[in-house]
Amino acid sequence: MDDFALGVLTNIGLFSFLALSAYLLLVAGEMSFGQQAFFGIGAYAGGMLTALYGWPLPLAALAAMALGGLAQLLVGLPTLRLRGLTFAMATLAAAEMFRILFELFHWRVERGGELAGPDGTQGFRGIRWIFEHGIEPADYLLLVYALLAAVLALLLWMERSRLGAALRGVGLDPELAASVGIDVRRVKLGVAAAAGALAALGGVLFAHHNTYVEPRNFDIMLGVHSLAYALIGGLGTALGPLLGVALDIGLLESTQYFHGYRMIVFGGLVAVLLVFRPRGLLDERMVTWIRQRFS
Amino acid sequence: MLELRSLARHFGGVRAVDGLNLTVQDGQIFGLIGPNGSGKSTTVNVIAGLLPPTAGTILFRGEDIGPLPTHRRLRAGIARTFQNIRLFGQLSVWQNLWVAQNSAEDLARRGFFTRWLGGQSGVRDEIARLLEFSGLAHKQNELAANLAFGEQRRLELARALAARPKLLLLDEPAAGMNSEEVGQLRERILSLRGSGVTILLVEHVMELVMGVTDRIAVLNFGQKIAEGTPAEIQAHPAVRKAYLGGEAA
Ligand SMILES: Nc1ncnc2c1ncn2[C@@H]1O[C@H](COP(=O)(O)OP(=O)(O)OP(=O)(O)O)[C@@H](O)[C@H]1O
Ligand SMILES: [Mg+2]
Repeated sequence: MDDFALGVLTNIGLFSFLALSAYLLLVAGEMSFGQQAFFGIGAYAGGMLTALYGWPLPLAALAAMALGGLAQLLVGLPTLRLRGLTFAMATLAAAEMFRILFELFHWRVERGGELAGPDGTQGFRGIRWIFEHGIEPADYLLLVYALLAAVLALLLWMERSRLGAALRGVGLDPELAASVGIDVRRVKLGVAAAAGALAALGGVLFAHHNTYVEPRNFDIMLGVHSLAYALIGGLGTALGPLLGVALDIGLLESTQYFHGYRMIVFGGLVAVLLVFRPRGLLDERMVTWIRQRFS
Repeated sequence: MLELRSLARHFGGVRAVDGLNLTVQDGQIFGLIGPNGSGKSTTVNVIAGLLPPTAGTILFRGEDIGPLPTHRRLRAGIARTFQNIRLFGQLSVWQNLWVAQNSAEDLARRGFFTRWLGGQSGVRDEIARLLEFSGLAHKQNELAANLAFGEQRRLELARALAARPKLLLLDEPAAGMNSEEVGQLRERILSLRGSGVTILLVEHVMELVMGVTDRIAVLNFGQKIAEGTPAEIQAHPAVRKAYLGGEAA
């Protein structure tokens, strides 16, 4: 496999974590324009732990996930209500705030005779754990996809449980969910924490893939894309957002065909879908239909 | 079972419910009737916790449930159906019943993880029974949105029962039904009598109300204008006046 294809495939995998985190919130009826912030928190925290403090990547990833989950929980606590756009606005504001904080964030420590660590707008270089441990790009690709498969399996299993049905119920009609005895706020807070952790995991893997991150990586367009991936792919199954990512990165960004027109095609696709399939390509109806065909 | 004391709910200047006193005894089927806009649905919504009251107290089994949020009222034993059918349209019939199993008994019997992440095996029988009761067994894997109107009404009732209610609030369960369906609904409601559930039935279809209730209260402009047995209510001049607009008084 050539480097380009490897890069594209790895990116599809990495952004899938972000798309899945946006998806989880959408299923629970909450729109987030700010998942890039938790992706960024994961990237910075995970990168700092391995590059500056010598943590092994798995441990750093777990810590970064905990931090990402906590951060999103804190955004959710005052803003997740039964109804309304409060949470959407808060995530957007929080994401911009975090991006600015990354720009102001200088944490330089000496590593092997040189200063390393986040350097404001200069970014954060030298996140080299996978090279120091002799992991080839192709192996890393496998690692990313193995983790993605594990997350996906967990989500698909959860979706078939009563919790999964309740989560969907909360998203479809929160008042009705409360009326049948579901603690809507608690479900939403749980989802927020899970979504934050998932985005952070993607961020850790992103930072170690690129070895370099900068605040600009985590701008609003990344959040809008991840939201669109989930909306295009569909809210009927956790496979939906992956379809969205694959369509955008795999088809639009990677083929030269749409070169220069990518955002126009992408935006058009989102607009058309929102009108004709408001819950995406793989919506509940489609998933039920497929399930009935193959069982 | 249920006692409303000077209950009020205003929407701006509209006094939808205005100083309502009502007592429903254990095991009763209690009818709540009144002209359009007289405050019946508002009363149900306030009891179920979807709307906070403007004033007054709601006692459920002797306790003030005012501070309880909606989901806790369900767990305490109050389940309801909606005048405008509300189901999780994108969930299957089976799942609609599954997610509604949140009674105090269910909470006590199964641990947190079993309840939310455990499989379907422990609840199959009970859901099968509910599907049987509502005649929806053959539709269990269908999305609720794909059901016919009458089936959706039946699913709503089954869903309310999935919560093992002590008090069941039915908001116009016969609305839009033909007389055959009303007959079936009547049988279903009567079959619940004696199973220990108390019912507050809001209904316009007099054939149903008069046939199943033990006692009826009549609302007009948010206030109770009469209360009594079905026979007393049918003979009550104020009721005839409220319904027929004065000519019959
Ligand atoms: N959410 C609301 N906001 C404003 N006004 C409301 C609201 N809900 C109900 N009302 C008003 O309160 C009054 C009582 O309405 P309610 O729905 O309780 O009547 P009802 O007895 O259930 O009538 P129907 O037989 O038509 O169902 C009406 O005047 C209605 O317009
Ligand atoms: Mg009504």
